[in-house]
Amino acid sequence: MNMLEICHISKRFGDKQVLRDVDFTVPEHAVYGFVGQNGAGKTTTMKLVLGLLAADSGEILVNGEKVSFGENPVNRYIGYLPDVPEFYPYMTAAEYLNFCGAITGMDLQECKKRTEEMLALVGLAGEKHRIRGFSRGMKQRLGIAQALLNRPKLLICDEPTSALDPVGRKEILDILVSAKEQTTVLFSTHILSDVEKICEQFAFLHEGKILRQGSMEEMRKSCGQAGFEIELEREQDAAKLLRQFPEGIQRGGAYVYYEPGKGQQMEAVLAWILGEGMRIRKAEKCGLTLEALFMEVVGK
Amino acid sequence: MKTGIAFWKKEWMDLVRSGKAFLLLLISAVFGVMNPAIAKLTPWLMEIMSESLQETGLRVTEVEVDALTSWAQFYKNMPMELLVVVLLLCGIFVQEYQRGTLVLALTKGLSRRSVYLAKTLMCVLTWSMCFWMSFFITWMYNSYYWDDGIISNLWTAAVLFWLFGIWIFLAMVFFSAVAKEIFGVLAGTGMVLLISYVAGMFPKIQNYLPTKLLEAQTLLTESAVPEDFYPAVITAVLLAAAAGLTGMIVFERKRI
Repeated sequence: MNMLEICHISKRFGDKQVLRDVDFTVPEHAVYGFVGQNGAGKTTTMKLVLGLLAADSGEILVNGEKVSFGENPVNRYIGYLPDVPEFYPYMTAAEYLNFCGAITGMDLQECKKRTEEMLALVGLAGEKHRIRGFSRGMKQRLGIAQALLNRPKLLICDEPTSALDPVGRKEILDILVSAKEQTTVLFSTHILSDVEKICEQFAFLHEGKILRQGSMEEMRKSCGQAGFEIELEREQDAAKLLRQFPEGIQRGGAYVYYEPGKGQQMEAVLAWILGEGMRIRKAEKCGLTLEALFMEVVGK
Repeated sequence: MKTGIAFWKKEWMDLVRSGKAFLLLLISAVFGVMNPAIAKLTPWLMEIMSESLQETGLRVTEVEVDALTSWAQFYKNMPMELLVVVLLLCGIFVQEYQRGTLVLALTKGLSRRSVYLAKTLMCVLTWSMCFWMSFFITWMYNSYYWDDGIISNLWTAAVLFWLFGIWIFLAMVFFSAVAKEIFGVLAGTGMVLLISYVAGMFPKIQNYLPTKLLEAQTLLTESAVPEDFYPAVITAVLLAAAAGLTGMIVFERKRI
């Protein structure tokens, strides 16, 4: 079953076309990476899903129910973490989560229990200070706690790691991975390594259009056709290698690169090098990274 | 309903923890005490000033004060208290738009109507609390020092001024739903007040305007009778209800 269906959505602000026929689906219990540069339209798409903006055309379904602008009952299925979550500064983390539970109609006992669980999950248990004094990382963790509090079917995270240091980023990614058991995650970012780490599916959004989408599995399979690079100890050995396997490209010194799809298997080349008694400094398969793929599709 | 009450409790917490509740109580108490205090001190002040007034040719005879002097002071001061309460509450919606704090509440499925009603109720209750607190403090002192029996329509006059405040707050709530900044809220509310005030210059319609309620103190001396205010009461109630309802419709479709 699809948890989120975005069907041919377009959106214009004044004379700027922000989204053009955006169309993708997020299956239940997936971690879906929504990738794009700043200004590509990721936040606009998410706000449309949340009913905070009205689409010019197309429709959005969450858990099979249609999203409507303004009063959007579908939001009861959604937990949302904005890029910079804003809280009431005069509350403590526990008070804020209790408030969130109360406004979603949660039973008081259940609310207290979930608040404790969530604070423990994000490492804020025992934090008695008011939110006013929280660091950015702490706010982001509290943001995840409030988003997961009422066990949403869909968790929408808008650039949750962009403004964090490496430790903070890892913490957030770990929490998102652990949340996958309970919910479906739509995760927007421009940090491609984060998508590679935790997402199963992805879509590339560029200038308001989906340029590529698919599963990370498919992307990784394409890595099998990637080229390889060999660095030998001596330059003259590299020249010898190129005479034997002329499809390679010498990249300065003792580096030789073989492009994918040119018929050469890395294993065969390595066997020949070893047979000749040459010494290898490094041999590496040049995997097709998400970054390389992204650069390719956006034409850079 | 339950979720709306939860949001309303948050509004109280905001008022208390931001220090606004304390400030409002303090101001209301000061405004309440000030009226009988000024009335009580007037003869003494006049006595002190009599010498210097005599030098300018003015002769001060014995000044007599009674409950009416204090109530007259009350109706002079209340517009100032209303202004202070408006200034302290005018950011009740707009600050949430600017900080982005409403986004998380709304994306949890909290209905916009609940948010709007909770905030409107908060404004109405805060104004009521401040006004009636000042009123009761003045009333207690007046009853202690003077004979309140000389005052006519004491409660009717108070209710009329309180209703004027409600009308102003509903206008403020409407402009809070429309505007994005505090300036817009204050400018809109001020403009409504100005229109009513200017329209009051036309004798044919002045009895129908909400600003007529500002003359409520004329009831105390029987210079006017309650019936004179009925058209203004009806207009104020209708306009307040219309502002509240249209504000809610606007808020439900507002881009937040």
